[in-house]
Amino acid sequence: MHHHNWYYGQQHILARYCGLPDDFPPRIPGYLQHGWNVGCGWNPVHEFFDGAWRFVWSDAPRRRGHSLGRRAYAVTGAPMLYLMDLEPDLGRVPEPERKGTLWFLFHGWDAPGIGAKIHGDHQRLIDEIKETETEPVTISLYYTEFDRPEVRKVYEDAGFEVICFGKRGWNYEGTDRKFLYKQLKAFRQFKRVASNRLATAIFYGVAAGCVPAVYGDAMELEGDNPLFGGQTRIARLWPDMLGKDIDLATARAITDDELGKQFVMPPAEMRMLFDWNQRD
Amino acid sequence: MTDVQIVRGELQPWTDTNPTGGATLLALLGDLLPLRSQRTLVAGPHSVEVIELAAARSESVSVLVRSVTDAQELHAAVKDNVTVITGALDGLALSEPEPFDVIIAADGLDRVLGADSPALNWPQRAAELWKLAGPETLAVVGVENEFALTGLYDRRPLDERHGDDEWRPLHDDPDRPTSPAQVMAALGAERLYATFDHTLLDTEAAATTRPGRPGARLAIGGLTAAGAHQPLLAPLGDGADAAARAGLLAAVAPGWLAIRGTGGGATHTAYAPAGSGVLIADLDGDEWTVSADGGGKRLPDTESVETLLFRLAAAEDVPAFRAFAARLGAWANDEGVILLDDLFPDGETDGFVRGFTTVKSTAGTSELLAAAYQRLRDRLLTGHRRHPWPPWTTESDDLVTTWLSMSGVQATPELLKRGREIADQVAEPGTSEPDLRTILADAEEAKVRAVELAGKVFGLERTLRFRDQSLRTREKQIRTVRDDLRGLRRSPVIRLHELTSKMAKIRNPRKFAGALKRRIRKS
Repeated sequence: MHHHNWYYGQQHILARYCGLPDDFPPRIPGYLQHGWNVGCGWNPVHEFFDGAWRFVWSDAPRRRGHSLGRRAYAVTGAPMLYLMDLEPDLGRVPEPERKGTLWFLFHGWDAPGIGAKIHGDHQRLIDEIKETETEPVTISLYYTEFDRPEVRKVYEDAGFEVICFGKRGWNYEGTDRKFLYKQLKAFRQFKRVASNRLATAIFYGVAAGCVPAVYGDAMELEGDNPLFGGQTRIARLWPDMLGKDIDLATARAITDDELGKQFVMPPAEMRMLFDWNQRD
Repeated sequence: MTDVQIVRGELQPWTDTNPTGGATLLALLGDLLPLRSQRTLVAGPHSVEVIELAAARSESVSVLVRSVTDAQELHAAVKDNVTVITGALDGLALSEPEPFDVIIAADGLDRVLGADSPALNWPQRAAELWKLAGPETLAVVGVENEFALTGLYDRRPLDERHGDDEWRPLHDDPDRPTSPAQVMAALGAERLYATFDHTLLDTEAAATTRPGRPGARLAIGGLTAAGAHQPLLAPLGDGADAAARAGLLAAVAPGWLAIRGTGGGATHTAYAPAGSGVLIADLDGDEWTVSADGGGKRLPDTESVETLLFRLAAAEDVPAFRAFAARLGAWANDEGVILLDDLFPDGETDGFVRGFTTVKSTAGTSELLAAAYQRLRDRLLTGHRRHPWPPWTTESDDLVTTWLSMSGVQATPELLKRGREIADQVAEPGTSEPDLRTILADAEEAKVRAVELAGKVFGLERTLRFRDQSLRTREKQIRTVRDDLRGLRRSPVIRLHELTSKMAKIRNPRKFAGALKRRIRKS
């Protein structure tokens, strides 16, 4: 029902999980949350149309949305969890062979004409990463930064390997349907996952077995809407997920909550929830 | 056979409809009345069966009814040791009969005066009754509750609620007792039952029960029956649940039955209709002992499975709902129809205990489980209860299918159909007309649905627009690629490539001759 549902190939993953074609996945009768979110599952000014259901990863966005007067929520669990179920061996290496840190730079966002860039002190961040990490570091940039040579080059010049997992797409075009596959494959080979903001990638990394770290300049996003409380709210709600040495057991418990692990449902139930059962 | 006697205050012509009786009252009186007493008074309209029971336990019985017609009919129906008197209560008191050992006024004190009687309020009528009693008299007195949910939720305005018997505004009586405590005090009662239609529940048990527990189930079942033919503002069950939560279920019962005097036999905690018989239940701590047909069984005083599932649905806690449904599936058996509102978790095991109602069935376990979920779905939706499932799941069999899968049962169309049939067989009889809140809620739901469907059309149209944009983008890409290709064809590199290919053919004489031959043959 909405092109955001295709972001990162999430709708494709769920269709595959349900035993349906994932090249052109069936329509979802509403909005599918596409990133970890401190609000109601979407950005503060996201528009919704009447009758559309909101499919969120965990119960917290549902509760927050309810407080905003929004109903018709269903909690599904994050599509990444379903992908992990579909691809139990993708990228997996023996535990002792995992090494290095996959470091995600907080990214800007892309929408033709209305995207936003990040601004911050990249050199200072690089220094801090070098001070902190003891094993090789791979920097993951979203394409919005990867395609900005002035950003990418700083990290390359610092001696880091710099990678990009692809585009999430726009209006059903340009979606890298293997985006999350590539991320999952990478996560399973790294020992640590880190970022300068608590964000989706950290939770994905923890779910895939990485030890998390969140540190460094959180940087500024152009036009960032602080309606949901911004970074200070994150610090108040998830202090255990911030820092260079995070307790892994605690991180895993929080990750399970935030990705909605307990809400993961069998394929038949999901087909019903998305109205994907053939009725004629 | 004795003649009908007349005292002051008889009504002619008149008849009191629906005389008090029924199997549960008979069962209570059967337990309570002494096996042999000397003089018994039955005051007010009571069924023949009640009078016959009194006659069987007493040397002599006097029956006071205000209607001459009713008196004549009773006179023809009862035994020799029964004296039928027609007239008003004050008229009988005026005749100063010998005190009675037993007084049965289960119909209450609202149908004991005639149109010519003085305007006695409730305490004055009670005082008239006590004039007929001795100090050791065992009395059973019914009291209608003005604070009953059936009254509070009555859709009719006050001036339309009462009929021809309100020649004086009988219910506009500030001195009428309207709470269990007031009734106990006014009558000096030893024990008090809250009456929910034909269900009798000890007020102490009614005060301790909570929504979904067996006691509340008995009460609400009776309450629903009491309101079945009454225009209501809202479903009685909702108010009853709230009252039960507050420990006030007895306070909102349609009436009470007070027992005064200690000379009677022991009575049970509850009496309720059960088919053609009576269900008798005793609460002992956190367990009920239930007997309907002579056999006794233990029932934990816990919340029903339906209550627990509704709570999980309202909390939108699907994982916990799923886990509970799995537990239910592991327990399910074919010992009878599974009524989730009458099924209680067994505190000692992981299983469940069937409650008061037993409905035998030849259906298999899966069919019974399908029926249980069909019924759960019906009650979830008709009750306008909160839940997390989208409308397209509730409007089809999808939701029941999913619940069954949570319980480990693979649904088939045949299974769902059979479940539907069984659920329909055990469905409660519908009310004569829906309550006002349900009507309003249904209308509002329809309005919301219309808005949502319009939104859906909007969403689909916008999706089409996105798709159109996507097609335009691709078309543009294809055109660009085609232009690139055209430009490439004209480039010197491609021309050179084409020339080289042709020369390559000539350089192989055999192939060239073959190609030439084919060309000549074709021409």
